[in-house]
Amino acid sequence: MRFLLTRIGFYLSAFWVAITLNFFIPRWMPGDPATHLFVSLRGKMSEEALAAIKVAYGFDGTLWDQYVAYLGKIFTGDFGISTTNFPAPVAETLFYAMGWTLFLVGISISVCFALGMLMGIKAAWGQGKFFDSFFTPFNVMLYAFSQPVIALLLFYGLCYQLEWFPLGRAHPPMVIPGFTWEFISAVAYHAVVPLLTMIIVGIGSWHLGMRNNMINLINQDFITLAQAKGLSERRVVYRYAARNAILPQITSLAMTFGYVLGGAYIVEVMFNYPGLGKFSLAAIQARDYAFIQSQLLLVTACVLVANLISDFANVLLDPRLRYAEAA
Amino acid sequence: MKKLSTLALTALTLATGSSIAQDIPKGGELSVITKLTDAHVRNFNPYNDAVGLYFAQDFIYEMLWIPNIMHPDQPIPVLATSFDVADDLKSVTYELRQGVQWSDGTPFTADDVVFTVEYAKAHPDYNIRGINWYNEDTGEGSIIGVKKNNDHSVTIYIDEPNGLAYLGLGQMYPLPKHVFEKIDDPKNFRNENPVATGPFTNVEHFSPTMVKVCRNENYWQGDKPYIDCIKFPQYSSNEQAQAAASLGEVDWLGVGLTNVQAYSRKSEHNKYWYSAGGNTNLQLNTTKAPFNNLAFRQAMSIAINRQDLHDFATFGLTTPTKYPIGTGEFYASWYNEERLEPYKYLMEYNPELAMEILDEAGIVDQNGDGWRDMPNGESIDFKISVPSGWTDWVNSVMQIAENLQDIGIDASAHTPDENAWFEAVPTGDFDAYIMWTHSNVVPWGTYNDLFNPADMEPGALSFQAMHQMKIPAIMESLDAFTRTVDREEQLQHIGDVHELVAQNLPVISLFANPEWYQYNTSRFEGWSNADNPYVRPMVHGGTPERWQHVLNLHLRSDQMAQK
Repeated sequence: MRFLLTRIGFYLSAFWVAITLNFFIPRWMPGDPATHLFVSLRGKMSEEALAAIKVAYGFDGTLWDQYVAYLGKIFTGDFGISTTNFPAPVAETLFYAMGWTLFLVGISISVCFALGMLMGIKAAWGQGKFFDSFFTPFNVMLYAFSQPVIALLLFYGLCYQLEWFPLGRAHPPMVIPGFTWEFISAVAYHAVVPLLTMIIVGIGSWHLGMRNNMINLINQDFITLAQAKGLSERRVVYRYAARNAILPQITSLAMTFGYVLGGAYIVEVMFNYPGLGKFSLAAIQARDYAFIQSQLLLVTACVLVANLISDFANVLLDPRLRYAEAA
Repeated sequence: MKKLSTLALTALTLATGSSIAQDIPKGGELSVITKLTDAHVRNFNPYNDAVGLYFAQDFIYEMLWIPNIMHPDQPIPVLATSFDVADDLKSVTYELRQGVQWSDGTPFTADDVVFTVEYAKAHPDYNIRGINWYNEDTGEGSIIGVKKNNDHSVTIYIDEPNGLAYLGLGQMYPLPKHVFEKIDDPKNFRNENPVATGPFTNVEHFSPTMVKVCRNENYWQGDKPYIDCIKFPQYSSNEQAQAAASLGEVDWLGVGLTNVQAYSRKSEHNKYWYSAGGNTNLQLNTTKAPFNNLAFRQAMSIAINRQDLHDFATFGLTTPTKYPIGTGEFYASWYNEERLEPYKYLMEYNPELAMEILDEAGIVDQNGDGWRDMPNGESIDFKISVPSGWTDWVNSVMQIAENLQDIGIDASAHTPDENAWFEAVPTGDFDAYIMWTHSNVVPWGTYNDLFNPADMEPGALSFQAMHQMKIPAIMESLDAFTRTVDREEQLQHIGDVHELVAQNLPVISLFANPEWYQYNTSRFEGWSNADNPYVRPMVHGGTPERWQHVLNLHLRSDQMAQK
């Protein structure tokens, strides 16, 4: 119990530090939203309009007053007003972008996890055989290539040169969103290359992690016993070895989901995908403080909650942690 | 004093003249890009600078009177049919169009205009274009009163005689009194279902990726608009919009498309016309050496290869500036070629002459480091600031630095982030900047921004007055300019300003920026272009002429025949 309380205390203070930084860091950047809008129009806006916008955006009070107001609003779910889309509430575009990010990142993580697990298991069980000696280094190599490289290659090859896939977006602007075949197929078609990028790069770490866990287990006595009992290989691999090896992987899966709301910056920006990463980048460039801090708040909260859950899960699943506390 | 109603009548005929033809095809959905965004947000408030104005001005809400910048003698009367500037230049009376209805059927009257002017006073945080009330505390603004003469006539009073006041006042978009009188906080009002007088008031579809506004069934011009709807598809980046334009998915846009060859090659219907916009100049900090030396500034101007700036640095898309007067082709109708001829040499690339001027002024290398020094031995090295990522300007500044190095001046480019670049202006802590100028209906505003000493306060410098050179004679000519509505007199005063700028060279004139305008001829015709330049052609907000432009567009006649 004391263990859990310490953890919760730790998370609360981590949360406070994070939201405080979320507030101050954007404001330390040079420029402000009105100035940015003005400068980016390169003389197309009059000085009177700039003055008027500064009044309209009117950040009331000192930085400290704003900070206190911000802390209060966090707990009421008020994300503030976006200056990019003034005076629309941040939540309006934030949740729109969140939907696309959850779609993209959710699918890619699930596919990566499933494929990575299966490949890792197969590689570990047939350690040193063809599958292992080919796919293990291959996946690790792709992982090391990183998203920007793969994204550029696929974009140039599949979208730009061959023109098999669209150059970006989630769907063409002329296609009206709704439960229609036209819309759903357009979304699927547009998601192919971004998903492929994330999956190609993402499999490696799951594959390697699972393979390492498995190899440590394969030489354990209970596996030898299971084999000696004459169980089928399939049963030994999946019910005995993999089931134990997957535990730490589930912890990292929880952690990975915590970062989902950070958006897939590289892929979203590369493919102009309307997810949180794309919106955050635009918000940072436009100095849209309310959007930046809300987006960071979401990420912070998700990462911390995911960590907390994995802490709890470890206590439940791993008896050694409970014994350590009792001692 | 000067009745402008006859003028208005001619312009009206011009505006509606083409509608006499019976065979103009009706219908069609025009797709335009007025603003790049990651997601559309529903807002049709015409005075919302972040979102609303891009959709709502001109297409949904209409001005009283549109100044036709390309053809100043053919202004475009909209909700006003004529106006009259009083003899003492202290009031302007507008005669309003009769028979106009708001889209909900309520008649448009003088009450709406009076309401809009008074509303601006009640809500100073709401930026009603053209309406600036006189403020006793700051001394800013000019309006001191508004009066309804009858249901279709309004007079607006200003504090000082000003022959230019009508230019700003006419650019007001009247608001419907019966809607806005219930709105207490207009700057936060999103006006999701607009009530307006314009051609496209009916919001037929809204989603984050697409907005569609369709024709106003109560529109006051019977057969116009010829098209049914305007679509605003969402595009988030320049590259994306360019790709869509190349594929012919968008009819009318204005993005910074520099590779015009590739764009034109893609289809014969992909057209563009980049007319001359506001001028780009070098702002020199004349409060310190070497920029406080006139000979040095002259040598600088002559040392710049403007042909290369045009051909390479700015991809051949800018318009070279003819005279060293801080403004360019945008105000070509204000040139007095005869008076400006003696200064033309300052715009012609001549490194030998530049070096001669410097030698004569004693600006030579004294310490043997290979770079010229000031006559008092002070060494010269300075930076020209340009925001990183503004490709054409960065190219320009790098080339200018090389041109200057060629004549022995140690100049270099400095490329900070655009926000940092802009924030450093008021401090006065800089050497030289590349900077835009503001375009107005007449050059008065541009020069007032450049030379008003009120903008040169140390620590609160305006980015137009960064050179900080106070030239009282210029301000006198500008004042005189506002005291008349006579074009000949105005030309005389602007001629004086031009000469004073050329003599003093507080800024180094470079080129006119291109006004980005791309259009597609596969579906619609009636475009303003180099062959038929009837209005400034741009689609972005702040170009009220787009009202006239969109009303002129219609489906291609040959397309109708096919149906």
